[in-house]
Amino acid sequence: MEFDWTEEDLSYRSELRDFLAEELPGRWEGATAVLGSADNAEYSRRFAGLLAEKGWLTPHWPTEWGGTGATPWMLAVLGEELWSRGEPRGPQYMNVNWIGPSIMAHGTPEQCQRYLPPIAAGDVIWCQGFSEPEAGTDLASLRTRAVLDGDDYVVNGSKIWTSYGDIADHCYLLVRTDAQAERHLGISVLLMAMDSPGLVVRPIPGMVGEHSFTELFLTDVRIPVANRLGPENEGWSVVREALSFERVGAPRWARAAHVLDETVRDAMEQGRSIDPVTVEAVGVAKTACEAARMLCYRVIDERARDLPPSPHANVARVAMVQAERLVADACAALQGNEIMRYGSDSDLQMRKSLAAGVAAGTYEVQLNLVSRRHLRLPKN
Amino acid sequence: MDFTLDSHQEAVLEAVRTLLSRHGGPARLHDLGGDEPGYDHDLDKRLAEAGFLDIAEPRSACRLDAALVLETLSGALASSAAGWRLLVLPTLDVDVEGPVALVAESHSGPARFAADADALVVIGDDRVRLVRPDRRIPRVRSRLGWPVGEVSGLPEGGVIDEAPAAEVRAWARVALATEMVGAMQFALDITVRHVSDRRQFDRAIGSFQAVQHGLAECSVAVEGARWLALEAAFTGAASTAAAALTQASEASKLIFRRTHQYHGAMGFTREYDLHLSTLRLLALRSEAESLGRPAAACAHEHWGI
Ligand SMILES: Cc1cc2nc3c(=O)[nH]c(=O)nc-3n(C[C@H](O)[C@H](O)[C@H](O)COP(=O)(O)OP(=O)(O)OC[C@H]3O[C@@H](n4cnc5c(N)ncnc54)[C@H](O)[C@@H]3O)c2cc1C
Repeated sequence: MEFDWTEEDLSYRSELRDFLAEELPGRWEGATAVLGSADNAEYSRRFAGLLAEKGWLTPHWPTEWGGTGATPWMLAVLGEELWSRGEPRGPQYMNVNWIGPSIMAHGTPEQCQRYLPPIAAGDVIWCQGFSEPEAGTDLASLRTRAVLDGDDYVVNGSKIWTSYGDIADHCYLLVRTDAQAERHLGISVLLMAMDSPGLVVRPIPGMVGEHSFTELFLTDVRIPVANRLGPENEGWSVVREALSFERVGAPRWARAAHVLDETVRDAMEQGRSIDPVTVEAVGVAKTACEAARMLCYRVIDERARDLPPSPHANVARVAMVQAERLVADACAALQGNEIMRYGSDSDLQMRKSLAAGVAAGTYEVQLNLVSRRHLRLPKN
Repeated sequence: MDFTLDSHQEAVLEAVRTLLSRHGGPARLHDLGGDEPGYDHDLDKRLAEAGFLDIAEPRSACRLDAALVLETLSGALASSAAGWRLLVLPTLDVDVEGPVALVAESHSGPARFAADADALVVIGDDRVRLVRPDRRIPRVRSRLGWPVGEVSGLPEGGVIDEAPAAEVRAWARVALATEMVGAMQFALDITVRHVSDRRQFDRAIGSFQAVQHGLAECSVAVEGARWLALEAAFTGAASTAAAALTQASEASKLIFRRTHQYHGAMGFTREYDLHLSTLRLLALRSEAESLGRPAAACAHEHWGI
């Protein structure tokens, strides 16, 4: 056991920091965007292109697909540095973290050829079509139906809360291909072009960012069978595998810690006195970010050892949500009435912290998993 | 980064656990008086003979192995001041034979181990003293699972040259956080066992989601404290030490309330082990506070506020 960074990781971090200091000087205004908001999606194309040129967009991918053999620790460093600057990759962090790897693991050679190079070049946006009006936490109850007709699936149904649906080029879509089978066994993954006839995208105004999420309505949308990822009816395990490491793929703690840091520094620069109760709140919030950091590192260590996914990832996710919330409380205490100003740090952090416990798997579901898998508490 | 024990650490902890299985553990604490225990001189002697008490080199920056030993001792409810010896004394490089207590300069009143200590480490704002009391410090009746003495009017003198107070305070925080982690894990484990066995309404009470979520949050809090404490022991950084103690203190509040709550009346019984760990947390937290509020210290270490 030891907690040192290697020389290699340290110099990677400082190289990244230099690059970011140049590319995103001062406070990058895009850092206000909330996960799931399309506010910076266009900027992300330019930024991800720059990263791609440096070999930093998909460094952990195999060299065959544009990777540089980066270790899981380097990937973690990359995630931390980018998230603490407001995630300038925008929606593309999903592409590189799990959509691309999922295509690599289950895609046909043609699918890999077609989808991976644009992701590695940083000029494609994907969205994730999982949730439906009746299928939220209970995702396996999804009903969007895909029926085989010649070389195509004909898809009918709707998806909701789809982030980036209005700007995406492709959708990683979950559909039901067997309505009779046990519900986990009748699901498939389809890679859908967002300009498919029969697909209507409607924005849903939301309280996180100007463009929040969208609703997708699918009426007789034809998706070629060649666009199915993995075997028919095995979509559930394909997507579970894809997301298994994603719980710590987005180091929310790093962004929360950065917001806290900037808010404290602002208060100090403005010479505002910080009362003892607020100092406590700040200390508790900072601590929560630190705890989440170590719990994420434990998961990365497991990943670096090629161990199978463990419930430690759920533990880390819970800690990250707590950190986001405590940082929101601390920022509100630090900024007082400034929370009334739309776009102030405390206003934004409040919004981000609300999304943290819902998007990408709710807080309660993580607690369910911690109690069953980590504590091994009995089922009813 | 490596979150697994290396073979040396594994062997040390295995040996400590073997020793504790014979000479430590909750049964031993019951023998020593349970929630009102005497000091376990016998355990200290055995630990010292085996070389476990001076596992950290004097003035060493990394005291990770010592912290791992301390967590194990605390998880077995040792009635020993080994924490101060393992993690704080290496900064001072002083020669003390028996138990040591540790207090803030401004402190008067109850302190763990004070009545049994050969010497007290007294931490001031910018100096550290080693006080060897000329007469035994009186015992305080306390029922929080530790031997406690009444500190008042300590003699002057004993300033340790070149002992940086801030550094000593940081290591004291690491020690307290580590001890809390051991006690919290004990309380959590025994509670998980209890709610898995105890049945009401024809089902294990641990299958109720309210109970599951309550314990899951406890577990996340304790894990956070453990890894921060270990990181602090590895780096010796004052900021990480303050964060570790903040996390442990906050976690201890959850652990205290919830582990008792989910035990129902059983948790009140003196022959059952739960209270031996939970009550200890209150004493540890109060000592943590006496070194300065941990969360405020964390904010101070990071931003100077
Ligand atoms: C900002 C944002 C972006 C999003 N982006 C996308 C996207 O791009 N693509 C996509 O497919 N989806 C997206 N989502 C949707 C997200 O995945 C769902 O909101 C989430 O899965 C929860 O589903 P739900 O909203 O229907 O809540 P529900 O399932 O109705 O849950 C409501 C509450 O009930 C609790 N609950 C439910 N079941 C249990 C249980 N078994 N035990 C205990 N408590 C339970 C939940 O924890 C939650 O607190 C996004 C959501 C947000 C907020």
